Amino acid sequence: MDFLNAIVALSNFVLVPAIAYGSQLAIGALGVTLIYGILRFSNFAHGDTMAFGTMVVVLVTWLFQSWGISLGPLPTALLALPFGIAACALLVLGTDRAVYKFYRAQKAKPVILVIVSMGVMFIMNSVVRFIIGPDEQRFADGERFIITAREFKQMTGLREGLALKSTQGLTVITAVIVVALLFWFLNRTRTGKSMRAYSDNEDLALLSGINPERVVMITWLIVAALATIAGTLYGLDKSFKPFTYFQLLLPIFASAIVGGLGSPLGAIAGGFVIAFSEVTITYAWKKVLVYLMPESLEPSGLVQLLSTDYKFAVSFAILLVVLLFKPTGLFKGKSV
Amino acid sequence: MSGNPYQDDHGNKDATITNPDGASGGMVASPGSDAKKHTAEAYLIGDSMTGGYGKTGPDILHDCTIAVNKGEIAVIVGPNGAGKSTAMKATFGMLNLRQGAVRLDGEDITDLSPQDRVIKGMGFVPQTQNIFTSMTVEENLEMGAFIRTDDFRDTMDQVFDLFPILKEKRRQPAGELSGGQRQQVAVGRALMTRPKVLLLDEPTAGVSPIVMDELFDRIIEVARTGISILMVEQNARQALEIADQGYVLVQGANAHTGTGKALLGDAEVRKSFLGG
Repeated sequence: MDFLNAIVALSNFVLVPAIAYGSQLAIGALGVTLIYGILRFSNFAHGDTMAFGTMVVVLVTWLFQSWGISLGPLPTALLALPFGIAACALLVLGTDRAVYKFYRAQKAKPVILVIVSMGVMFIMNSVVRFIIGPDEQRFADGERFIITAREFKQMTGLREGLALKSTQGLTVITAVIVVALLFWFLNRTRTGKSMRAYSDNEDLALLSGINPERVVMITWLIVAALATIAGTLYGLDKSFKPFTYFQLLLPIFASAIVGGLGSPLGAIAGGFVIAFSEVTITYAWKKVLVYLMPESLEPSGLVQLLSTDYKFAVSFAILLVVLLFKPTGLFKGKSV
Repeated sequence: MSGNPYQDDHGNKDATITNPDGASGGMVASPGSDAKKHTAEAYLIGDSMTGGYGKTGPDILHDCTIAVNKGEIAVIVGPNGAGKSTAMKATFGMLNLRQGAVRLDGEDITDLSPQDRVIKGMGFVPQTQNIFTSMTVEENLEMGAFIRTDDFRDTMDQVFDLFPILKEKRRQPAGELSGGQRQQVAVGRALMTRPKVLLLDEPTAGVSPIVMDELFDRIIEVARTGISILMVEQNARQALEIADQGYVLVQGANAHTGTGKALLGDAEVRKSFLGG
């Protein structure tokens, strides 16, 4: 029985990774929920939008690294982030002009836009693989740890170490800043309020003189920034691989729907619900239980409920449960 | 429906992938007409309007004329399906006019879009979905003043003076208010642009008789500030009592026109529309 070591082990393997992953999902889900609220369809190309933005960040990071520019202990990718956001904004605005605008002019039903976004998804997917290739890319540099497991052990004298990766700290700080900025923008500025008004009631927004094309443009700009930031944080924390970003669609959509589609607050809550479920269910609990249980009851197996290969099944199962029992999501989103 | 493939949702009812809320409720701007006629001067006049929804839709209005003078209340009444709301929407540029014209203060606005008419000084309160339910009362009013670049604090204070309950509930989401309060928010939102003429589509639909009387009182107060009001009403008797000018429409055409009092006194109007 050793509570302290159990808590440290739990933090090291479950809490910290889940908080970081949850922040990344939350920023991704915010983008999805904004598009759903303003353009009224689920953007299947969101994962590949993230991949594109991150790809530009990776390329610019490599360029900076070759020039010898760095941020010291912080990853160079932070310097490259504005370029990634700008490129991603150009991409989504170009896509909107070339593709979605046509369907808006036709007043096409949203389900048609969903299918259109799938087409866009395949194209973006190919473009990214064409430019950077389908392989895994690493672009994280700078200090790897805020505190390593060994330092922690020496500091506290515990048997278990708590490692805190700098990317995890960075992810959480960035997420807090991004979310605070976004909520300030949506609730306090005239433009942000006009976006909420347009999402609430399109006809009345038109009658109030709100320009729909401007609202749509600003939405895409914000979504591009959110997608690039989420993608870059995920890439720094794990690694960049185009296919992984495509796969991220499921947990991101699950987050947005669990929280309540169209509700920014819900997207954040949903992100953490999904992340914590994924991590806790695929974690081998043996280590924590060994500390908590008397020797005679110690588990012999790993006590892992599901192999990590099945982590997508977790999002999917949560998605199904929420849709069955609380279709509006946790935060009174749109009824599904 | 119309055979337009973009309008076919293939039976999709899945709100996880498409967002059914707040989307365009079919309000289609289709201003324009070919022939112009001339009638007497009025502040807002929909003059000899003939037309229907869409480019090819059947005519709903037939040579229908609706006018409202400065600072007066004009009321459109009539049986169900007479084209009351349609006539009002036509003056706001939401109907394809094949004949006739709409003039505001002597200026022909027939070809302007609804948004441009708002800038010209028209305010429109739709019958349903006339507030931003997820936003607070104050934000609703702010959005009403979206086209204004000057300071609109004083206008908001005027609206709060007119509807004191809104001041009390200014921080509350408008969707949580009662039916009568929602209508006050809707009218207040339209007043924020400082319109010269206000179009109200059944402002008392679905509110209790007591609230209805109060709303009518407020509408009279608005008219006293010099704003012309054009109103469609189901409660014909009460509406005609406060009306300076009344229009009885039947099948999209003017059946009876006169002052509110005259129409109330007209035996035929009473028999056919007011229940004796």
